Amino acid sequence: MLTIEHLTKHYKGSSKGVTDLSLHIAPGDIYAFIGHNGAGKTTTLKCVAGILEFDEGTILIDGIDIRKDPLACKRQFAYIPDNPDIYEYLTGIQYLEFIADVFAVGARERQERIKKYADEFEITASLGDLVSTYSHGMKQKLALISALVHRPKLLILDEPFVGLDPKAAVILKNAMRRICEEGGAIFFSTHVLDVAEKLCNRVAIIKDGTLIASGEMEEIVKSGQSLEDIFMEVVEDAGE
Amino acid sequence: MRENDNTRKSGAMGQSGAMGQSGMMEQPGEMEKSKTMEQFRAMVRMELCNIFGLNVFRHTRDSRAKKKSLGLLCLYVFLLAAMAFYVGGLSYGLISLSMGEVVFAYLIAICSVVIFVFGILKAGNVLFRREGYDMLCALPVPTAAVVLARVLRMYVENLGLSLVVLLPGTIVYAWIVRPGASFYLTLLLGTLSVPMIPMAGAVLIGVFVTGVSSRMRHKSLVAAGLSILVVLGILLLSSRLSAMEGNLNLEMLKNVSAFVFAMLEKLYAPAVWLGKAVIYGDFLRCLMCVGLSLAIFAAVAVGSCVCFHQICRNLYGGFARHDYKKEELGGLKRKSVLVSLCGREFRRYFASSIYVTNTIIGPIMGCLLSGMLLFLGMDSLEAYFLIPGDVGLLVPFLLAGVFCMMTVTSTSISMEGKNWWIARSLPLSAKHIFDAKILMNLLLMLPFYLLSEGMLVLAIRPGILEAVWMFLIPAVMIVFSCVYGITVNLHFPVLNWESEVAVVKQSASAVLGGIGGFVLAILCMVAALVIPEEYSNVLRGSVCVVLILATVVLYRGNNRHAMAWE
Repeated sequence: MLTIEHLTKHYKGSSKGVTDLSLHIAPGDIYAFIGHNGAGKTTTLKCVAGILEFDEGTILIDGIDIRKDPLACKRQFAYIPDNPDIYEYLTGIQYLEFIADVFAVGARERQERIKKYADEFEITASLGDLVSTYSHGMKQKLALISALVHRPKLLILDEPFVGLDPKAAVILKNAMRRICEEGGAIFFSTHVLDVAEKLCNRVAIIKDGTLIASGEMEEIVKSGQSLEDIFMEVVEDAGE
Repeated sequence: MRENDNTRKSGAMGQSGAMGQSGMMEQPGEMEKSKTMEQFRAMVRMELCNIFGLNVFRHTRDSRAKKKSLGLLCLYVFLLAAMAFYVGGLSYGLISLSMGEVVFAYLIAICSVVIFVFGILKAGNVLFRREGYDMLCALPVPTAAVVLARVLRMYVENLGLSLVVLLPGTIVYAWIVRPGASFYLTLLLGTLSVPMIPMAGAVLIGVFVTGVSSRMRHKSLVAAGLSILVVLGILLLSSRLSAMEGNLNLEMLKNVSAFVFAMLEKLYAPAVWLGKAVIYGDFLRCLMCVGLSLAIFAAVAVGSCVCFHQICRNLYGGFARHDYKKEELGGLKRKSVLVSLCGREFRRYFASSIYVTNTIIGPIMGCLLSGMLLFLGMDSLEAYFLIPGDVGLLVPFLLAGVFCMMTVTSTSISMEGKNWWIARSLPLSAKHIFDAKILMNLLLMLPFYLLSEGMLVLAIRPGILEAVWMFLIPAVMIVFSCVYGITVNLHFPVLNWESEVAVVKQSASAVLGGIGGFVLAILCMVAALVIPEEYSNVLRGSVCVVLILATVVLYRGNNRHAMAWE
C-alpha cells in the first residue's frame, strides 16, 4: 500500500529532517510511527501526503509514485495533521461537502457516511455551526469524518488521539480496524505508546531523522517488555 | 518568559535602587506603577520588534525568504523614492509660485488624509487582532498595556509615513528659503503630532465599525459594509469640497495662498494651524496644536482600552447554535470540483472584512465613475480628474484601471495561510485551484462591471464600434488583472501569517497586484492621449490583442509553475 524507499528530506539552514528512511506498509497494516519531538515523524508524514517536497528517495502509494502522479496518489489516501487547521469560515457540513465533492462521493453515500460518523462522534448538532466556533477536539472529529467520508485506502494520521475524548478515541480505533479489515492501511504517528502497542501490528521508531527500528509489533515486544521499555532502550542505544 | 523574567528583575532592581536613594521602602502604589510601566515597555518591544517583518528578516535562515524580503524592500524604496520625488516637486512648485507658506499645511493635510483613510481600513484588525489574545488575557498584564502597545505600533508606522511626506518637503523648503532655528524646532515637535488626530479619528471609526459588527452574526460582512460606507462618505465629502472650488471669491483669487489655506481649513483645519505654526516658527501655537492632538489621541486610546475586552469577546466568541438536524443531511448534493472550490473561495472572501474592503472599493468606484458620467455629465469627469483631451476615448481605460486597482487574486493564495495543507493533500490540481480563484474574482466583478457599463452606455450613447471598445477594454483588462494577480501571488506567497493585514495590506503581492492593472491603464491612457485620434481604433485593438496574449501566456505559466506543487 505504501512504500518509502531511501527518503531524504532536509530543511534549508537546518540540520533537522529525515535521512535515508525506508518503510513498507502492506494492506491490512496498522503501522505506528514513534519517536521523540523533532525526530522527523511529521516531516515523513508530510512527504508521504505530498505536502512537502523531498530531496531524495521514492514514495509509492498503491504502486504509484507520488512525484510522478501526485493526484492519483492523493485519491488513495486521507491525511490529517496533528493540529487540524480547517477552514474556519465554513460550517462543519460545508467542509464535509467540500471534501466529498473533491473526492466525487455520491449524494447518497455522503449522506449515509456523514450521518453515521457525525452521530458516532456526537457532533451532528454542531454541523451547521462555523468551524471557528469548534473546540480542538471537535475540529479533530470533523477532520476524521472528512477523512472517512471518502473511504480512503490509506489513512495517514499525525497524532490522531490528541484532543479526542475517550469515546471518540474508541470510535477512531474501531474505524481504523475496519479500514484494515477492508484491505486498507493506516500509517500514524503517536506518543501514546500503550495505544500503539495494543492497536498496531507493526511499528517503526525514528530518532534524529533516521529509522532505528521497525518490524512486527509481536516480534519487537515478544521479550515480555512493554513498547515503552523497548522504545527507551532502542533510543538510548542509538544515542550511544 | 524571558520578558517576564526581565520584568521581574528590572522591577526588583528599580525597587532596590529607589530604596538606596531615598533610604525608605517604596510605596505599594508606586511599585504597581513601575511594574505596569515595565509591562508596557515589554509589550511595546514585542509589538515593535517585528514591525515591517524586520525580526523575521533578521532571524530567518531561509535564503529565498531573505531574497524575497529584500525584493519587497526594494519595491518599498522605489515607491518611497517616487513619493519623495512627488512631494519634493510639489513643494518646489509651491515655493516657486510664491506659495511657500502653504507648503507644510498642504503636506500635513496629505499625510493626515492618507493616515485617516488607510487607518479606518485597518484599525479594527490591528487593535483587536486575535493573535495571542488568549495568552495575553492569561498574563498579569493590564489591558491598557496591550491596547496602548498596539496603538503605539500604529503610531510608529504612521509617523514613518509622515516623515516620508514631510522630509522631502522640508529639505526643499530649507534649501530654498533657509529658515531660522525656530522653524526646525517647531517642525520637529509638530511632526511628532501629525499622525495623532487622523489616527484617533481612524481608531474611533475602526472601533465603532468593529464594535457594531462584532455583535452580529455576519461580523465580517457588516464590518466590510460599514467600512466601505465610511470610505465612500469621505470620497463624497471631498468631491463636494472640490465642487466648492467653483464658488471662488475674487478676493481669494488675489491671494492664492489664502485661498489654499481656506480650502485646507475646510478639509482639515489642524493641518493649517500646524502648518502656519511651523512656517512662522510660532512655538506657542505649535505647542497648542501638539497639546490638542495629544488630548484627542489620549481620549481615543483610553476609550479603546475601556471597550477592548468587550469587543474582543464579541468578535471571538462566535455564534454556535448547535441546532443542525439530521434531516438536513438529506439535502446534500454532489457538485463539480470547480463549483465546490469556487463556492469555498466566495465564503473565504466574505469571511474577512479587510479582504472585502480592500478589494471591493475598485469596482464600487468604477460604478460611481459611470454614475457620475450618467447623472452629472461628461464635464464633471473632466473637472474632477483634470483630464485633458477626449474623455470619451479615455473612459474605458480609466474604468478598467479603477476596476483593477486591487484584485482579489493577488492575495488569494496567501489568504489560504495555515489551511494550505488541505489543498496540498487533496487530489486537486493547481489548475483547479487557480481556476476557481480566477472564476470567483470574475464573478465578483461581473455585477459591478455590468452596472457600470450599462450606466456608461446610457451616459455616452456611443456608436456600435465605440460600444464594443467600451465593453471589451475593461473586460480584457479585468481578466488580465485576475490572471496577473495569481502570477504575482505565486511568486510572492505569504502563508505563515498571523494577521490578515500582513497579507492584504503589507505583502509584496498585494502591492504589485494593486498597482499592476492601474499602472497599465494609466500607460494606455497616456498612449491614447499621445497617439493621433485617427489611430485610436488601432491603439485600442492593439491593447486588447496584447492583453489577451499576455493573459494566455501568464495563465499557462501559472499552471506550469504550479505543477511543482502538486
